Amino acid sequence: MTTWRVLTRRPGRVIGLLILALFALMAVFGPYLYAGPLAVDPNAIYSAPSAQHWLGTDFAGSDVLQEIVIGARYVLETAALSALFAAVIGTLVGLVAGYHRGPTDSVLMRLTDFVLTIPGLPLLIVLSTIWSFGQPYEMAIALGVTGWGGVARAVRSQTLSLRERGFLEAARGLGLSSRHVIFRELLPNLAPFVAMNMLLAVIAFIGAEVALFFLGVVPFSSSNWGVMLNQAVFSGGAMDSPAALSYLLAPLLCILLITIGIVLFLDAVDELFNPRLRERS
Amino acid sequence: MRTLTRLLPKLAVGLVMIWAVATFTFFLVHALPGSPGDAAYENYILSGMSPEQAQAKVSSIYGFTSHDPLLVQYRGYLWRLLHGDLGQSISYSGVPVTHVLRAAAPWTIFPALAGLVIAFLVGTSFGAVAAVKRSSRWGGLLSMSGSFFAGIPVFVLALVLAFLFHTEWNLLPYGDTSDVTLTPGFNGPYVVSVVQHAILPVATYALLGYGAWLLTMKSSVISVLGDDFILAAELRGLRPRTRMRYVSRNAILPMFTVFALSIGYLLGGSVLVENVFDYPGLGNVLFQAIGARDYPLMSGAFLLITVAIVLANIVADLLYTVIDPRVRR
Repeated sequence: MTTWRVLTRRPGRVIGLLILALFALMAVFGPYLYAGPLAVDPNAIYSAPSAQHWLGTDFAGSDVLQEIVIGARYVLETAALSALFAAVIGTLVGLVAGYHRGPTDSVLMRLTDFVLTIPGLPLLIVLSTIWSFGQPYEMAIALGVTGWGGVARAVRSQTLSLRERGFLEAARGLGLSSRHVIFRELLPNLAPFVAMNMLLAVIAFIGAEVALFFLGVVPFSSSNWGVMLNQAVFSGGAMDSPAALSYLLAPLLCILLITIGIVLFLDAVDELFNPRLRERS
Repeated sequence: MRTLTRLLPKLAVGLVMIWAVATFTFFLVHALPGSPGDAAYENYILSGMSPEQAQAKVSSIYGFTSHDPLLVQYRGYLWRLLHGDLGQSISYSGVPVTHVLRAAAPWTIFPALAGLVIAFLVGTSFGAVAAVKRSSRWGGLLSMSGSFFAGIPVFVLALVLAFLFHTEWNLLPYGDTSDVTLTPGFNGPYVVSVVQHAILPVATYALLGYGAWLLTMKSSVISVLGDDFILAAELRGLRPRTRMRYVSRNAILPMFTVFALSIGYLLGGSVLVENVFDYPGLGNVLFQAIGARDYPLMSGAFLLITVAIVLANIVADLLYTVIDPRVRR
């Protein structure tokens, strides 16, 4: 009930949810909507948006809208999978560090600092020289393994503060095993917090994977928004010719829309889990 | 003294980190199928050199002798690294990597620093406003703008700026550091051209950092506003301006962690920013080196970017100690 009231109090939050739902639908059903390979039409290269091609066509005469819809699955699936990997590793490290404190904490947090300090994108493009991680699960492993530092640090500080609460003291006082305390008492209380961090991670991972394709350092195994941007900017001449406008802008706008959707939606989630932010009248 | 005991472990961790990255890039280059050294060695043999000559040539160009055991090569690599020798670039045929990096570094450091300063000034002031006015529409919009710019991917920002200000409105040039027809030097047209070409990269860096400053400042100010001494100041009837000075001085402290984080974002993002704006900085050098399979240059650029971030972390920590007396005690 509170959830619904918080969600509907600002219209932006509903809009955010709708945007996310739209893209989720696109990712799930998109490839079925346009089955088969991309249609190529040499007579309609870089044609302007029309009734037939809502977003115009690209350098080969393929429909831009179709490419966007088909590309959505790769982008979103990979980002979600990466966020899942990062959340699992980060939560585990943060929980163990925050719960055990002492030397375990020091070692794990030094490791986390290490992961956070090494610049992610340069590391990934250096890594791409020995491992061409183009497939969704490969990309997700590469992004997840290099991107869990933020989640770990956030979970640790949250664990440290939960640790001092009465219910955990009671659980420890009852002599329950640390495994029970960590997985049965701490983890359920951390879940919403982790979910929030996962949503934030999704934005970052969409940026990172599309950036890797945009730079062209991973093999173009499937059609996605990053590949579109790469071809628009580096071979399609989209930065100079107005004809390629929709081809360049369509993937950019999709990324912007998802970012806005997640930010708007997070605003509601944030208020739900952070009562201190609720407005005082 | 206290500062020193706090700083030493940080320095040690930083050094370990630099060593780890150096080791990582070393073994990465050696994990590559057919190392560039081996390929060159075979080429020299084919072109009629004796094995000794070819060996000497390869070791002079690639910085390691490719037929030694791996551990010996690794020791030699670390030893040369300690002397500031990163080997020779392949794509710039034999120019020392350090020279290439030295030429590129200013084109990354100055725009990134300028962006950092702008982002800090604008982000923290807007963050304070967003905190004080958090119940109003403007406060909400401000914090929303922070989350938006913190979330938006670097290259999207760069491409949109380039598209709007160059292709669409034709207000600003981009590509390279200045108009190529001008002679470099301290003359009017050249300086103007350099500044014009720097505006878009700097703006990208600034917008990139803006969100983190705003959001952190906002939550910091909100937590300080709840402190007792602010209530006391209010009850004593101090003017809002004085009260705001108390608040901002206390709320600025957590900003130093953002400083270190921002440097990381900016330098990491430089690969994309410089790629879009065709700017000859470190990120572009790293990208070009990967395209040309120039491994000495690649590991050098990656190492330098990491070292810069590690140093920024240490500096942030040092500043924190100087500014917050509670840490020193």
